[in-house]
Amino acid sequence: MSAAASAATLPRPRSPIGGTLSPLATLARRRLALTARTPRELVVPLLTPVLFALVIAPALKKALHTSASYESFVAVGTLGLLIPLNTMFSGLSVIVDRESGAQRELLAAPIKRSLLVFGNLAIALATTALQVGVLISFAVARRIHFHPTVSGVLWFTAVALLFAVAMYAVAETLAARVPRSEEYIARLPAIAIVPWFLAGSLFPISALPLVMSYVSRVLPLTHALALMRYGLLGDSSGLHAIWKLSDPTAMAAMSLGVVAIFATVLTTVAVRTFTRAAVR
Amino acid sequence: MAVIEARGLTKTYAGNVEAVKGIDLDVESGEVFGLLGPNGAGKSTTIGMLTTTLEPTSGTALLAGHDVAKEPLSARGASSVVFQDAVVDRSFTGRRNLDVHARLWGVEPARAEKRTAELTAALGIADLLDRPVGTYSGGQRRRLEIARALVSDPRVLFLDEPTVGLDPRIRHELLDVIEQLGADGEITILLTTHYLDEAERLCDRIAVMHEGRIVALGTPTELRAGLGEELLEIRVDGDAQAALDVLRDDGIAGDDAFSVGSTVTVPLHDESSADAVAAVQQAGLPINAVLARPPTLDDVYLRLTNRKETP
Repeated sequence: MSAAASAATLPRPRSPIGGTLSPLATLARRRLALTARTPRELVVPLLTPVLFALVIAPALKKALHTSASYESFVAVGTLGLLIPLNTMFSGLSVIVDRESGAQRELLAAPIKRSLLVFGNLAIALATTALQVGVLISFAVARRIHFHPTVSGVLWFTAVALLFAVAMYAVAETLAARVPRSEEYIARLPAIAIVPWFLAGSLFPISALPLVMSYVSRVLPLTHALALMRYGLLGDSSGLHAIWKLSDPTAMAAMSLGVVAIFATVLTTVAVRTFTRAAVR
Repeated sequence: MAVIEARGLTKTYAGNVEAVKGIDLDVESGEVFGLLGPNGAGKSTTIGMLTTTLEPTSGTALLAGHDVAKEPLSARGASSVVFQDAVVDRSFTGRRNLDVHARLWGVEPARAEKRTAELTAALGIADLLDRPVGTYSGGQRRRLEIARALVSDPRVLFLDEPTVGLDPRIRHELLDVIEQLGADGEITILLTTHYLDEAERLCDRIAVMHEGRIVALGTPTELRAGLGEELLEIRVDGDAQAALDVLRDDGIAGDDAFSVGSTVTVPLHDESSADAVAAVQQAGLPINAVLARPPTLDDVYLRLTNRKETP
């Protein structure tokens, strides 16, 4: 045990905090390495949206005799399924960490515990971005048309990012509150899938019964989808259905603001919930 | 100089469950300090508060001079924990587990690499480092966890039941490792254990916890001395408590006598073992075995943890 003995005489390590970025990068790299070892976490959330975009939407178009724009409408709509599914699946890793015990070592580390949330969030966003890219690539390969502009891509990127942050925050909060993965999975459809049917994914929210259309307008997914369509398709009808205004840019900004507020509030709740659950 | 200081530390869980009821503790630099006690005594809760994974309900605790409630990052930076259960990323290699720890504790990469090489060689796991931890045996994994805890050169090392679940050979090898760490005298070690031979072998001082309180504190020798130089162990065929009552009624057994199962244990002090045996026989209680011997730490532990607290 000469090595252990040498611990006594060697200098202490540098400041335990070492800034915020270094431990955040370490946590993100750890999460990425764990995610890469379970590729199903990447593939499974992608299956249903790809099926919708590439099979069901064209089939609906044919059966309902709609135009090619309906395929584009649904292709963007499927992003509203993909992002919640992927972020919610990412939340499972928090429970795996807790059940395997690995989380205890992280909680004993000299870092702010909020970094554990943000390290996971970083990889959830990265995998979501990858999947969104894959879905759009599949759609383009299937000759589904998008009409992106520079500003449109910026709107799309901003709202997709904020919506993914908001949904990951929901996942992290749920993971901190439920004791077992089985319970987490049981609640996943209600959070990731049910809102999708109300948020104008497959049809405009103006087609909903009046009361349901009001419910739809408070869902962040409705704002996110309307803004994604504005960004990728140049279609502001979804924004108009929400805000009833004539200025698309103003409506886009307001919808982005709504999603940003959800992302901020939900992330704050997620950090607090995780910290309180971790330290009793 | 005390590296761990606790004053009036309490922890009450939801439902008004008082796990720790106000403990005072000073652990000196370089000391190996043992927390003994049965399940539910409050040992793990105490470690949880000192490692900032549990929030004290009241009281204060300083770790290397840092208040665990007010300066948790500094307190955590000065310490490492080897948990009772396996706490590793099983799909990672041993090296990667050590690397994650070193980075989170802010150890410079070059130094982390050097320490990893030194520690894993010393602990006999250098050849395993590039294998996934999921392929390690229990003893190998526990050695890896100790190496990981030491990579950051902690001033305080917490070992929570470090040998639970290990086979006897590995357990003894691990005790050698911990003993050597303690002998180095630079790292302060606080360990919890159920195994009294471990505590006797490793610890400079021991605190016995029972129902959330420290009921005895001292060196193993001091604790044993409380039971005198000799005690009598009588195994009866029947109710040992009845035998103990007889011995107390006859003034042979004092408050420090106790019974566990079919065995009554009586510190003799100035009493005679023959008188004790005769008293039990006269009461009509059949005796299966009698043994006079010096007290052990087991006796101290059993005496202190054998009684229910008076409300």
